[in-house]
Amino acid sequence: MGQLSLKRVVKTFGSIEVVKGVDLDVQEGEFVVFVGPSGCGKSTLLRMIAGLEHTSAGDILINGERVNDLPPVKRGIAMVFQSYALYPHMSVFENIAFPLRVEKAPEDVLKRKVQAAADILHLENRLQQKPGQLSGGQRQRVAIGRAIVREPKIFLFDEPLSNLDAALRADMRIELTRLHKQLGATMIYVTHDQIEAMTMADRIVVLNFGNIAQVGAPLELYHRPENLFVAGFIGNPRMNILPATGVKSGPEGVTVDCLGQRLTVPVAPPRTGIEGAALSLGIRPEHIHLGDGRDLRLNLTPTVVEQLGQHTIGYATVEGMEPTFCFVLPGSRPVHDDRPLDVNFRARDCHLFDADGQALPRRPGVEDSD
Amino acid sequence: MALFRKENTAMIDRYSWWEIVAIYAGIAAFLFFMLSPFIEGFLVSLKPLAQLFSSPYTFWPENGSFDAYFTMWDSVPGFGRYIFNSFLISTVATVIVLLLVVPAAYAFARFNYQGMGLVLGGFLAISMFSGAVLLIPLFRLMRTLGLLNTYFAMIVPGVAFLIPSAIWLLRTYMKRIPLELNEAAYMDGASQFYTFRRVILPIASPGIIVVAITTFIGAYAQQFVFALSFNSKTEYMPLPVGLFAYFGRQEVIWNELMAASFVGITPALIIIFFLQRYLVGGLTAGAVK
Repeated sequence: MGQLSLKRVVKTFGSIEVVKGVDLDVQEGEFVVFVGPSGCGKSTLLRMIAGLEHTSAGDILINGERVNDLPPVKRGIAMVFQSYALYPHMSVFENIAFPLRVEKAPEDVLKRKVQAAADILHLENRLQQKPGQLSGGQRQRVAIGRAIVREPKIFLFDEPLSNLDAALRADMRIELTRLHKQLGATMIYVTHDQIEAMTMADRIVVLNFGNIAQVGAPLELYHRPENLFVAGFIGNPRMNILPATGVKSGPEGVTVDCLGQRLTVPVAPPRTGIEGAALSLGIRPEHIHLGDGRDLRLNLTPTVVEQLGQHTIGYATVEGMEPTFCFVLPGSRPVHDDRPLDVNFRARDCHLFDADGQALPRRPGVEDSD
Repeated sequence: MALFRKENTAMIDRYSWWEIVAIYAGIAAFLFFMLSPFIEGFLVSLKPLAQLFSSPYTFWPENGSFDAYFTMWDSVPGFGRYIFNSFLISTVATVIVLLLVVPAAYAFARFNYQGMGLVLGGFLAISMFSGAVLLIPLFRLMRTLGLLNTYFAMIVPGVAFLIPSAIWLLRTYMKRIPLELNEAAYMDGASQFYTFRRVILPIASPGIIVVAITTFIGAYAQQFVFALSFNSKTEYMPLPVGLFAYFGRQEVIWNELMAASFVGITPALIIIFFLQRYLVGGLTAGAVK
């Protein structure tokens, strides 16, 4: 059992089940990110852990103690809100000191703790200012400071960077990772931004329609998605999914027929009932190469080409595939709109999914050569 | 000119010059419509009584002076008392209304319970009653309570009539305060009352001041009918009734009546100007996003 345990946790609003029996263990000091599309229940789950939402069924345990009926302050939890939720009439000092004022901490303790938080967050020179005088990043740091002074067992973050511009978001990501290392506290972080999830998390929890689609380390989710949902959600641009038909299963993997070509994808262990089965073949855009050769070749005519310098991204239509087929080539490549070109990819870079969208597990070690 | 301040350049981009002229002309016409009775009243207060009855009527004062502002005190002895009474009644009514309405509006803004819409609708319905319609039952009530011929006879019904609109106004304002501020305070262990006192009240203060001003003005305006109906003692009479003393048997001392009107509303104006300084917009700036 971890520091935080969710046991068959359910949340219903009227007749609508938003969180559908979630089980999860979070270890002390872990940085866990809840990720998923809008409406998947990630924020609701976080608010249930916080104590802001009543838990309809199941148990929430912190250090082994059931906390379902405890108010937030008794759960040893602090939360940073998406909208910062700063008190606009109070100075930065008073905002950070607010939880300590509530618990009537002695003035010298209060000053010491606020100063320590301000030092960590580089807010020393802003303490007398009001939130309205601060930039978005500084406001977010004040909100984090208010959480830090409580010295909580668990920090909760509800999409804390979503109101910041892209550059500031990247800076704050690094700062939050640094803060996690510095404090060594357990952090649970909700975002819909997979870059935040991939860069900050020890483990990512992918949620879909109130269920956990997969839990794992970022690269585990990238290399070994357990289902089509995770395969499509993790990775940007998203994985291409091509229709395929099973031909045979053997010790080398599963041989499929895809776009009239045969290739053997190294999945294990061998399976029965593959012959003639409708499968989906997944290939990430960054695993596609220019030219012919390798295991599967495609002749494409890109309709849109994006030259980013670092990458060249192309979008083309492939028969039987929705939406468009995407490829990412390193650097600037001589690829143009409406001019046909040959691309190819290796069977070992491919992912296979059955008709229910569940992955056929890839053979151990295949990701090493991705 | 606000239109041409830097932050309003968008308006110039949005409207052509003739549209801006039309907007200003509209504002000027509205201001003239609103202010013309005051302007004429003020001019009348400066005119000698003889000029007021001369024919044809002249708009601008001839030999204008502020004499009426001095003589009015002699014509109606005890006029100061009327001003004091009005001020007292309005102030006490405003304080009582605020004490009741601020927590009520917060409750209506933040808590959901069954039948809340019905209660709020009821308040709205009550505020649609004209005070005059209820005068007879109110008179019986005041008599039963033994409040006739006291200040309370003018304060209590006034408070009852002022509460509904004040609740609606303040509730709307408080609903705009982000709920996350309550949640953040709750996360930090603050009680509902602590949150209300330390977080919500300071942020809601511009709304509370607006309600205080409208209540004060409302209390000033409604004194006339309650004073005439529930009070017959001169020492408790408020200003609107006191002004009747300038209506003599043979003539109305118009210049002194106008002067007395302006003197009478001065304390209210001073209070409103004082409170207006606290009507700072954007107090929630920086709270969220």
